[in-house]
Amino acid sequence: MDKKRKGLRFGSGFYLTLIMLFFYVPILYVVVFSFNNSKSLTSFTGFSLMWYEKMFANRTMMESIYYTVLVAVIATVVSTVVGTITAIGLSKSRRLVREVVTQINNLPVMNPDIVTAISLMLFFISINMKTGLLTLILAHITFCIPYVILSIMPKLRQLDDNVAEAALDLGATPWQALTKVIIPQIKDAILSGALIAFSMSFDDFVISFFTTGPGINNISIYVYTMYKRINPSINALSSLIILVIATVLVIVNVVPMLKNRKKREIEA
Amino acid sequence: MKKAMISLFCAVMCLLALAGCGSSGKSTKYAGQVLNVYNWGEYVGENVISNFEKEYDVTVNYSLFSSNEEMYTKLMSGSSYDILVPSDYMIERLISEKMLQPIDKSIVTNLDNLADGVKNLNWDPDNTYAVPYFWGNVGIVYDSTHISQADVEKYNFAIFKQTAYKGHVDMYDSERDAFMIAFKDLGYSMNTSNEEEIQAAYKWLKEMNAAVNPSYVTDESIDDMVNGQKWLALLYSGDASYVLSQNANMRYYAPSYGTNLWVDGMVIPANASNPELANVFINYILTYEASLDNSETVGYSSSNKQVLEELSSEGGTYYNNAAYLPRTDNPKDETFHNNEVLRKELSNLWVKVKLG
Amino acid sequence: MKSFGRMAYPYMAWITVFIVIPMIMIMLYAFTVQGNETLIFHFTLANFARFLQDQTFLNVLWNSLRIAVITTLCCIIIGYPAAFLIAQQDERKQGIMILLITLPMWINMLVRTYAWRGIMLHFDLSSEFKIFVGMIYNFLPYMIIQIYTSLAKLDKNLITAAQDLGANPLQTFLKVTLPLSVPGIISGITLVFLPAVSSFFIPKLLGGGDYVLIGNLIETYFVTTGDWNFGSAISLIMAAIILISMYLTRKLDRQYQED
Repeated sequence: MDKKRKGLRFGSGFYLTLIMLFFYVPILYVVVFSFNNSKSLTSFTGFSLMWYEKMFANRTMMESIYYTVLVAVIATVVSTVVGTITAIGLSKSRRLVREVVTQINNLPVMNPDIVTAISLMLFFISINMKTGLLTLILAHITFCIPYVILSIMPKLRQLDDNVAEAALDLGATPWQALTKVIIPQIKDAILSGALIAFSMSFDDFVISFFTTGPGINNISIYVYTMYKRINPSINALSSLIILVIATVLVIVNVVPMLKNRKKREIEA
Repeated sequence: MKKAMISLFCAVMCLLALAGCGSSGKSTKYAGQVLNVYNWGEYVGENVISNFEKEYDVTVNYSLFSSNEEMYTKLMSGSSYDILVPSDYMIERLISEKMLQPIDKSIVTNLDNLADGVKNLNWDPDNTYAVPYFWGNVGIVYDSTHISQADVEKYNFAIFKQTAYKGHVDMYDSERDAFMIAFKDLGYSMNTSNEEEIQAAYKWLKEMNAAVNPSYVTDESIDDMVNGQKWLALLYSGDASYVLSQNANMRYYAPSYGTNLWVDGMVIPANASNPELANVFINYILTYEASLDNSETVGYSSSNKQVLEELSSEGGTYYNNAAYLPRTDNPKDETFHNNEVLRKELSNLWVKVKLG
Repeated sequence: MKSFGRMAYPYMAWITVFIVIPMIMIMLYAFTVQGNETLIFHFTLANFARFLQDQTFLNVLWNSLRIAVITTLCCIIIGYPAAFLIAQQDERKQGIMILLITLPMWINMLVRTYAWRGIMLHFDLSSEFKIFVGMIYNFLPYMIIQIYTSLAKLDKNLITAAQDLGANPLQTFLKVTLPLSVPGIISGITLVFLPAVSSFFIPKLLGGGDYVLIGNLIETYFVTTGDWNFGSAISLIMAAIILISMYLTRKLDRQYQED
């Protein structure tokens, strides 16, 4: 029994390690080669920071980072607010209205992003709107809101209506019922919706490609325009993104863990 | 979560600050203005844009495209630029569709700097709309350690059909250029509208696909050839001269029965927001310093007479580089002309060639 | 409380403008011919016929579906054991492992694919294999997380109950765990199959121009050829296929829940 269990444990550890390796080998590769002393993508000739220097000096690259974050932040904030309000509104709407809106809401999610991208491009052309930062932001908001709504609706359905009704009966204004009863209960769903919206916007390539204007590039578009030639600055850029994201994710996940541990220590 | 996002944003703003924006150049009448330039990737000198910005105290939004068609689609979708650098046939198309405005020759005074090979082009003889930027032809780049010069000269473009090189060939993913080599090899004009000739070229390309199974790439083939990963590629002369300068085994050959002679030119769209600054930019590119930086960095033949001579003469970076100076005396070399019907048909057929 | 229903109105206006009208535009382009700036309202099925009657295009469609299906299957085969093993770990380890798996998802898809391209330059692999590596790498995390979520929600009591009733580990798995995790698998399928069918960047970057999938085809017709009518028609065909398969999986899911 012990041998079998040990064997199983070894096997599962081995399998999981393989999976983790699969996920992290490209990341390691990118980071290692970002310090390469030559242009080669196949042989490491020595340590150098030159690609990082070139990256910081490259205004287009830096701007692409700026626009990516800017658009992602704006799209996330707007879509979270609008998405939350709408989800709450929908949960209190007539069934028919809810069904129709949900179906339409699902279109950007179900549709391949190239279809959404093209539909928006054709739309902007037809209203003679010049593509630029505004069209980019509008497009991002359009495809982010559905994800927020999708995240919140299930939680709303689980809510007990009576609690909010009780609050109103006890003299709360609708605004108070909203902010002090309903929203706190769905807080987690709102946050996860916001997170999904941010990651969708940050990562987007196709929709941005078709709806952006002159001089406005995001990271994905920038990498796309550079990919045909060997460009180790992209490795530097990627490493930077990896570093920032890893740091943020660790902070976001470790801090609550530490807080919990402190809490437990205090309570003990 | 919010804190994380705010800190991320702050981190990025710090990065931007590090990037060192803001130029302290001489204050001129264009100070603070913005110029939207739309150009090919890797098609400008290292310091040209930043020097222009410093000299005139302006900001240049520099966007990239990888094909004339992509550029055209972006234009159609409402994007507004001040400067475009399309190829000859695309400029013809834009002129015919009234999408360009004339160059202001009172600002662009350096037209005399133009090399002879790019003067009096039949599609815009007086430089009314376009000012040449780079020019060249299309040819065969081959690894001399695997392919002999004798073979290349014997087969010309049909070298791309030799099964001996299967798996080692890069073909340019452009219907125009691929059909061009088929047309030329079959003895037809690259501007033909003859249906039989088109079908024959289509057949030629399908045979090529089956014979050598090429990789259909664009700029990737430049690094492929520099690194010796492929033996044979169809490249623009400018890319070829770069390859030849980096890899001593590589050679360039433009077939004697003719190839495509092309010119990329700077034009100003009719809906440009800042045409005056655009003209200033064009004039700036024509100067010796800017043209030198351009041509030396990228490897394409300069439209500036002085630069062209200097780089191709003894002591010049591209001296003895077979691809740097395109021949201008072969009557069989042709320029593409704009032909909507032909273009659409070739486009449709090309998808099928690659799928074959 | 009913007045809260009014809160949905702003968004309803938004989706009319930014979702409904654009979709109508694609349909307009798909059902007409000729003209990018001016739509001539002469409805025709010519664009669709052109696609459906051409063997080469149907091959492209078939190829895209084939690659998407294989990618999805591989993600299930590789992902299920991973999700299962993670769900067996103690809670803290689970959290860390899920975090580790989520991290690559946050990095831009283009950046990740570009990294693989660099690595695979070292090896002599077929275009198709490279595309599979890129696709599986891109979509595996989604599958693992979906399966893991449904496994984690599993009531441990059910497992102990089964064991108490005399089932051995294999039987417990097949008759309790697996069936209860099917919703997770189905979620995973929708998160992998759909984007896999329509992806054009991964095949383009890793496969070279050799690989024309339906996403590339649409991109070609829109960007290079400039035939927006035909491009829209292909988009609608692809959207239709995806919506149908979504509907079928949803139905399967519902039927499954009812059983």
